[in-house]
Amino acid sequence: MSQIMENPKGGCVLAGINAVLGAIDRICPVYHSGPGCCMQTTAADQGQSGHKSSCFVSGVSIPSSNMLEKEVVFGGTEKLRTTIQGAIEVIDADAYFVLTGCTAGIIGDDIVRVTDEFVKKGHPVYPIETPGFAGDSNLGYEIVWNTLIDQVIEKDVPKDPKLVNIFGIVPYHDPFWSGTLEEIDRILSQLGLKVNTFFTKHQTIEDIKKCSGAALNIIVNPWLFHGPAKKFEEKFGVPSIRIPGLFVGATDTTKFVRSVADALQLDQKLVEAVIEKEEDYVYQYLGQAIGVVSWKKFAIVADANTAVGYTRYLANDYSFTPVLVIISEPIFRQEDKERIIKEIQDLEYAKPPKVLFLADQYEINQAIREEEDVTLLVGSSNEREVALEKEIQFLLGAFPVNERLIFNRTYAGYKGSLTFTEDLYDNL
Amino acid sequence: MAKVKYSGVRESKPGRINDFGSTGEQIAEKFKKGCLKRADRSFAQGLQCQQINSMAALMSLEDSVFISHSPQGCVGCSVMAVDMYRVGQIHRGAKQVKNARLFVTNIDQKSVVFGGESKLRETVKLAIDRYHPKLAFVYASCASGIIGDDIDAILNDMQSDYPETILVPIHCEGFKSKVCASGFDAAFLAINKYILKHQKVEKEKGLLNLFAPTTVSYADQKEMERMLQALGAKVNYIPFYSSLEKIKKIPAAEASTSICKVFADEFMQTLWEDYQIPFSHTVMPIGIRNTDQWYRGIAKVLGKEAEVEEIIKKEHARIEPLVAKLKERLQGKRVFVCGGTGRSFAAAALIDDFGMKLVGLETPTYDEDAQIDIEYLNEIHKDYVVDIANMQPFEQVNLLNKIKPDAFIGVPVWAAKLGIPTTHVLDGKRPTMGYDGLLYLGNKIADQLENPGFNKKIAKHVKLPYRESWYQEDAFKYITSNE
Repeated sequence: MSQIMENPKGGCVLAGINAVLGAIDRICPVYHSGPGCCMQTTAADQGQSGHKSSCFVSGVSIPSSNMLEKEVVFGGTEKLRTTIQGAIEVIDADAYFVLTGCTAGIIGDDIVRVTDEFVKKGHPVYPIETPGFAGDSNLGYEIVWNTLIDQVIEKDVPKDPKLVNIFGIVPYHDPFWSGTLEEIDRILSQLGLKVNTFFTKHQTIEDIKKCSGAALNIIVNPWLFHGPAKKFEEKFGVPSIRIPGLFVGATDTTKFVRSVADALQLDQKLVEAVIEKEEDYVYQYLGQAIGVVSWKKFAIVADANTAVGYTRYLANDYSFTPVLVIISEPIFRQEDKERIIKEIQDLEYAKPPKVLFLADQYEINQAIREEEDVTLLVGSSNEREVALEKEIQFLLGAFPVNERLIFNRTYAGYKGSLTFTEDLYDNL
Repeated sequence: MAKVKYSGVRESKPGRINDFGSTGEQIAEKFKKGCLKRADRSFAQGLQCQQINSMAALMSLEDSVFISHSPQGCVGCSVMAVDMYRVGQIHRGAKQVKNARLFVTNIDQKSVVFGGESKLRETVKLAIDRYHPKLAFVYASCASGIIGDDIDAILNDMQSDYPETILVPIHCEGFKSKVCASGFDAAFLAINKYILKHQKVEKEKGLLNLFAPTTVSYADQKEMERMLQALGAKVNYIPFYSSLEKIKKIPAAEASTSICKVFADEFMQTLWEDYQIPFSHTVMPIGIRNTDQWYRGIAKVLGKEAEVEEIIKKEHARIEPLVAKLKERLQGKRVFVCGGTGRSFAAAALIDDFGMKLVGLETPTYDEDAQIDIEYLNEIHKDYVVDIANMQPFEQVNLLNKIKPDAFIGVPVWAAKLGIPTTHVLDGKRPTMGYDGLLYLGNKIADQLENPGFNKKIAKHVKLPYRESWYQEDAFKYITSNE
């Protein structure tokens, strides 16, 4: 059930699927959809993610059957067949994923029958039968992983006790995804671990195929990836731990490191040495700019993962005062909401802020207008309007991000927290 | 016999095709003989759907709400229009930058089975209760069209409940057209039907409708207005950054013209038929020749032929020495041009101002209008490739790799990865048009050509996704006859 929304953040499930596939090196999506879906879905997620989009194929580079009236009336499987054939001939990809738009979904084209023909000929072609109207971008992330678990990841891969898989950081739907994955990779590598981020360092579908050999799945997100994690464990026997929110700053990042170390029973001495070194790095800098960033009463508008991370850092590590946190993505399960509220309100010294779940822009703006006390708002491009109206400091730090270019920047981890603090400086 | 009303679907016009690969000379000849047939591609990359254009065209209107009766993905590209709108507000001096009031009904599985009427009604009510707009535009989508939601009937039924808001349904279902410019027509057809309603209004002396799509920068708007004011016209700039009041003034104008060839061209014809407003439909005012032609076109309609020649003379005296300097830097360079219908032909004409040579032209549709441009280009340039394609980067890179032009004008993403210097003529935030735009553009092209380091270096590190074997194939291999 999708809700009516003003200024929605992100696209349909097809947009989410496309964003995730676009982040995997040398993967080619093939759209069986209307003529605009490639552009629309790329614009909805990749296009609002700090102006960085898939280097391989995205937007109008994606092969598409461009279903017109003829296909709507008579069916489009023949058009799909020649489109897949052409894609294989022209595009040098490791795998092709056939996606369905609303048109194909409503008229009921049997795409599996078509992809099977190519599979029989030995081509790496995988169907994903989830039309756009089935949900939002977040669902797209889970759909991709469910597809990979069902169709791509191999069974009986030898176990590697040092290999871990990272889940929960959604490419493009989180504009800081690549920097965040790189920071996680950097930290865990120091513990002697091999890290599957899947979306950085030119990892390919081969890494995905073998990821069932991992010792642990690490989910960095308070609610996403519930279903796929269960499926992953049942099929491949890989257990998972959930880090219930992005870690920003020394306190939460150290907690994250200890959680992973406990789960894998890593060498305590090594773990503590890494923590000491990393915390020292952060505090050597923070110590050089005490009182430089003025005190603020803040509100956050972001997806749950980001909101948890920003709130806890600013409140616990930086002694700003939390007032209001709005989770701006649709979340349906009550238990998920409770977990998110707990993370945001269970603070060390600060009084817990109000937590609201609002995806509609008008409701978000109204909630912020009602908080007279807020002097800093961290949110998306959509919240700039209300920040201007209130004449308060605004930091563009959540999806959608239209007015800044983001390559490898992150606010997560040890190093990211310094970048976050730098960006909060306003000289006003 | 009653005249057949234009449906808003660009393909419905005879002689208009979207898929063809040829040369300038051949295509002109084939068109003349009536041998150009509608075709298709058995393999293609994504297109731009008409809904994108319908939404973008109106997104900056004041006191309006925009409702997409669709799943959430269909408002993806409207974000680009919203970004233009926000930047446009800043350029126009606004301190309180506003969001566009954009809603999505979010058609889901339930709507697909039971229809989306209740969601649409709820959204319209919500949007009007929140903003009390003068205009509420409702956009159809592939999904709403296929499940058969009758948005006209629903809005007609709701209209009496909201006398302060005009409800405007727009039929821009993506599957109806391969030509995204159809979406402009869908928007204007709806404006005529639901706002103007064939009502006669009092004429306003000197008033001129200037139709401009969202991709026209504020700098360009000012340049166009400067030129038209020099002819004594009062400009009604529509629909970009305009309002219901300005739309209602359309029939009061003495004449109309458009900045883009495929924007409001059909609508200006309608305005002539319904309100007897004469219009000029020429070219996009990019480059000296095109700017002159565009300027003369509208001056003729306004009866200012003598005046325009005076101004053109002055403008030329001012511009030509500066253009001559640019020519020294650009003379003889071989150029490949890719763009939308208006901009591709305009850019192709522009390069002649700088003494550059056209070696390839990629444009989305071919028709009678395109024929006029091609015949003109054929007089200047020989042996250039023509690809009638809406983007299709796989064909573009295949051609570029064979032709190896000195410069590429168009979307830079793919040509840059081949190491070719690139310049864009579609810049909605900076100048492109008129006499002043020409200099900005010329300097941009010359500077990029002289300093191509970025593209040369990136080409060494970033590979395009195509197989090596593809570059050896015929670029038009997948274009199939449809008849």
